[in-house]
Amino acid sequence: MNFDYLEAPYRIRNDIPEAHRLIWQMIARPGNWWNGEDRVSIIAETRHAVDCELCRERRAALSPNSVKGEHTVVTNLPGPAVDAIHRIVTDASRLTETWLSDLYTKGMSDGGYIELLGIVVAVISIDGFHRAMGMPPEPLPEPVAGEPSGLRPEGLAEQGAWVEMISPLEVADTEADLYGNNKQAGNVIAAMSLVPDSVRMLKILSGVHYLDMHDVANPAANGGRSITRPQIELIAGRVSSLSDCFY
Amino acid sequence: MLRASTQVSGEEVNLKGIVEGNQVQTGLRGGEALIHFAETAVGDNVDAISVAREVVKDELGEKAMVDAACVIANFQRMVRIADGTGIPLDTPVAMMTSNIREDLGLNEYGSAGNTPALSLMQRLLGRVLQPALPLVVKLMTRNMSKPD
Repeated sequence: MNFDYLEAPYRIRNDIPEAHRLIWQMIARPGNWWNGEDRVSIIAETRHAVDCELCRERRAALSPNSVKGEHTVVTNLPGPAVDAIHRIVTDASRLTETWLSDLYTKGMSDGGYIELLGIVVAVISIDGFHRAMGMPPEPLPEPVAGEPSGLRPEGLAEQGAWVEMISPLEVADTEADLYGNNKQAGNVIAAMSLVPDSVRMLKILSGVHYLDMHDVANPAANGGRSITRPQIELIAGRVSSLSDCFY
Repeated sequence: MLRASTQVSGEEVNLKGIVEGNQVQTGLRGGEALIHFAETAVGDNVDAISVAREVVKDELGEKAMVDAACVIANFQRMVRIADGTGIPLDTPVAMMTSNIREDLGLNEYGSAGNTPALSLMQRLLGRVLQPALPLVVKLMTRNMSKPD
């Protein structure tokens, strides 16, 4: 069994490994734009990005664009995918719409990018938990055979972000679960709705790492955690600030 | 949400702890230990993480330490979703937090450019409504907060 936390040095709530297992299963399956093998490769490349010398040099430079070179890679993913993964992992606060447009001219689709982003951030989060807990990263899942669905959901529209999103007011029945029949959703929830499973993975992980969506807007709620809501938000704010994240 | 949650709980918090870390006292129980845990856990010094983790465990307990590790993990994800998609700050949140963002220097972050500047009316309204922040947040987001 993967994510077996019974051997962990600390007692870990059961809902955490359950969620992590589910995410690993979801990533291993073919998605909308990437097959299972590619999606597992995205995990591997996400983990490798922190060791990329080009990324280190770019991170230290005043402008990432001033440093030219090739990423060191551990997968056969296309170049634009590798660049997207490495930049999201190592220098996300300096991503720009121009950079994303450039990826598109090199063959990346908007759906492919959002699906990749959804996997990268899930892995960062799960691996981040392991690192914080002093546990080694989970081995890669076995990819599931099959082709990507090519699904592009209904209701996508430009809403001020770099990618199209689905408004809760325009969501189709097949994606109604994304917002739970709510008429509003924070932009960070809708951000990856171009690939609905990316939002589903976000909800699963946020539900165990932070709070259920229905608790987030209630400043008195702490989801039954052993730290108070102000303590939760202090950590959230500090991590966001360390990442130079305005949102 | 930190300010809103302390307004609800009645605690005093120094919000500068978010940007200045342990240069300031946040005023929250275990705040220093939690901040240090967050700071080390986003880095790669495993020895430092281990020490910080044990301090949280000693001060707040093992369950609290695990929950803190979860929140650290969660926001390493959320910041990259925001930065990777260029989403603007939600308008109600932008209105209610304009002075905090100014005070803390958050407007200097590169990704601040993804959020359009507020109109004078929006800024004024945000300041007027600020004392009632917890209630306003609940009202403005009530449709976001129903269980699925």
